[in-house]
Amino acid sequence: MSDTGPALVSILRQGSYLVASVHTALDDTQMLRFQHDLVERIGTDRATGVIIDVAALDVLDSFGSMTLRRIAEMARLRGAETVIVGIQPDVAFAMVRLGMGPGEVPTALDLEEGLTYLNGHRDGQPGSADRPPRRPQRRP
Amino acid sequence: MSSGPSVDGSAQNAGLEAVERVLPVVRRVVGARVSDPHLAEDLVQETLLRIMTAWDRIEASMVEPYAIATARNVVATMWRDRDREARNRHRALDLSTPEAPEDQVVLGEEQAAICEALGRLGEQERTRLLAHEVSGQDTRSLAAEAGSSAGAVAAQLHRTRARLRVEYLLTMEPGPPPTEDCRPVLLALSGGSRRRQRDLGVGRHLLGCDFCARVAEPLLGRAEAREDELRVPVQGDADIVKARQAAREVAAKLGFAKTQTTLVATAVSEVARNIVRFAGRGEVLVETLSEPRAGVRVVARDAGPGMTNPQEALADGFSTYNGLGLGLPGARRLMDEFVLVSEPGRGTTVTMTKWLEED
Ligand SMILES: [Zn+2]
Repeated sequence: MSDTGPALVSILRQGSYLVASVHTALDDTQMLRFQHDLVERIGTDRATGVIIDVAALDVLDSFGSMTLRRIAEMARLRGAETVIVGIQPDVAFAMVRLGMGPGEVPTALDLEEGLTYLNGHRDGQPGSADRPPRRPQRRP
Repeated sequence: MSSGPSVDGSAQNAGLEAVERVLPVVRRVVGARVSDPHLAEDLVQETLLRIMTAWDRIEASMVEPYAIATARNVVATMWRDRDREARNRHRALDLSTPEAPEDQVVLGEEQAAICEALGRLGEQERTRLLAHEVSGQDTRSLAAEAGSSAGAVAAQLHRTRARLRVEYLLTMEPGPPPTEDCRPVLLALSGGSRRRQRDLGVGRHLLGCDFCARVAEPLLGRAEAREDELRVPVQGDADIVKARQAAREVAAKLGFAKTQTTLVATAVSEVARNIVRFAGRGEVLVETLSEPRAGVRVVARDAGPGMTNPQEALADGFSTYNGLGLGLPGARRLMDEFVLVSEPGRGTTVTMTKWLEED
């Protein structure tokens, strides 16, 4: 994100998955930067699954929701499935009222459920089944 | 004023000559500004003392102009000091006593500006203001003289002070205001009436007029101070986040549940983004309402290009940037009330309200 100060997001490798955690409210520019960095990592890491943890996001407005959808779509085109985890109940409620759900992007309660979801969907595929998911460190 | 520089014997003699020369003009200048004869005489003496102490530094041809300027300054200083005493009731100009010599120069210029501003007032306005501020005549006796009520006189004095502040600030500017709206806008700010400011669209004018934005700076604090209000200038992505966080804070303080504060914050995020995308800059104002019940009102405004068809912008799926058409109609769905006013070339104002849900 920025060269100084605490990281706004982190992208960690977990087997053949990437776990991207948003640590604070992001503005639109930061959101786009996050999209760019994550999509790039999906390619370089040859990830088959992506978990985006948005528990720290105060708001998911039209732009934020669209960005998540776009990331999922770009990930799909690169052969990775995306699951969004940690959407707060009040944020989810506002998204629905806004008319801006996550769309086709699957969601899960938390990281653990997200990993379970990806493992279930990718069962039998190389890179995930041979390695049981561990709960990753969210803030290194 | 009593602690002037000491005057030695020879200078005093020369000064006495000067006094005789300038006494009539000093009397005339002070008399035109101060109606109370006792006070006027005090101010004349004060002026003369200053002229005497500066006598050996004044060019002969400059004696009369110097005397006039000094008399004006003395009157203005007195007026200002009186005003300072009365500051809690009606603040006019807030000039603190300077210490450094260069500050003295600035103060002198400011006094001249005050005098010029006074000169721009109508005769009756000025007389009444000075009678009240300088001579200490109360509103009741002023009302009796004018055959009016004390309340009406107080209201007129309030307007006069507001005008004086504006004229004072304008005298410090090299040129006149650029538009016809500028003076009424500055007056509304100086008068501090929120309703008047709203009626005139003061916020929008300030966003579009650099002149007023600069001149009005000292006046901006004059609206009735409210702690339950937050104003967030919006000119970039980061400000969208600031605006929505401010709205959440205000709503939470008022007792909104988290679900409700998030609805408000999300709606603010949408309207603030609208400002950044379409107008470049603007502001978001968040205030609390108590009538008819508790609520949060958000005003998002800009002086940007505006919209030719605002209804279109509220239609779902209207695609104006990045394929996103959900911003404004989405915000409308999140709030209880939503009004969009937009005019091509004049900007856009969104006013939206969320009422606190009764238990
Ligand atoms: Zn103006």
